[in-house]
Amino acid sequence: MVSVVAADVPRVGTIRILLFAGLRERAGWGEQHWPANPGCAAGLTPRELWLQLQLPGELGSQVRVAINRQFADADTPLRAGDELAFLPPISGG
Amino acid sequence: MSSPFCPQSVGADTEAMLIKIDLHSTGFEPLVVLEHWQQAQSGIAASAAEAHFIGRVRGVAADGCALEALELEHYPGMTEQQLEQLARDCCSRHGVNRCLVQHRIGRVLPGEAIVLVAIGADRRGPAQRCCQELLEALKHHAPFWKREWRSDGNREWLSGNTPL
Repeated sequence: MVSVVAADVPRVGTIRILLFAGLRERAGWGEQHWPANPGCAAGLTPRELWLQLQLPGELGSQVRVAINRQFADADTPLRAGDELAFLPPISGG
Repeated sequence: MSSPFCPQSVGADTEAMLIKIDLHSTGFEPLVVLEHWQQAQSGIAASAAEAHFIGRVRGVAADGCALEALELEHYPGMTEQQLEQLARDCCSRHGVNRCLVQHRIGRVLPGEAIVLVAIGADRRGPAQRCCQELLEALKHHAPFWKREWRSDGNREWLSGNTPL
C-alpha cells in the first residue's frame, strides 16, 4: 500500500498533487506528495490516483487534469517529479 | 515584463505578436491601462482597428441574492502560461498582432473590472472576432475559479460561466 506524505516543498521521487477551489474544499486538502514507484514499468496515471485518493466528483466531465501545468489526458502515465493538478470547472473572465 | 502603471501585476510580453498579459491582485482601471497600451503603439505603428472588452463584477449573485464580492482563485504559473498560449493561438488564427489581456485575481467588488481584452489589427473584422474568441477561450480554458460571497452570508464556488 502506497502512503501519502505531508505536503510542503517538492520532493525527489514523488508526484506533487494539487487541488483547487471547490474541489480542494470538498477533499479537505490542497497539496500532497505521492511516492512514484520507480520499479513499476507502467507509470501511475491521474485516473488511478483519482480513484486511490477517493476524490469527490467525476473525473473527465467535471474535473480536468493538468500535468506540469499543461492540460493532459487522465490516462497519461506519470513520472517522478511531475506536478499533477485536478481542476474543477473553470469560470474565468 | 510587468506594467509600469500596475506594479503588483505579473505578466509576459512576447516579441513577435506584442502580447501583453497581466494578473492584478488589486483593482485596476481598464481605461487607464488601455490608454498606456495605446500610447505604446502610437504613430505609424498604431493599429488601424481596435476591439476592446471590459468585464465588470455584477451586483447580483447567480441565485438573485445581492453579491458582496467575487473571489477569484487561479493556478499560479499555469494560468499565465495558458493565457499566453490562448492569446498567441487566437492572434495567429485571426492574423492580428497586438493583444492585451488584464485579469483580476483575489477579492473583487461589484462594479470593479475583472477582465480587459484588447486587440489591435489592420481590419475591424479580425479585431472584433479575435477579441470575442479570446474572451470565450479564457473563460473556459484559463484556470480561474470564481466564488460568490453573498450578502446573506453564503459562499459558493461557481461551476461555469454566464451565458454569452
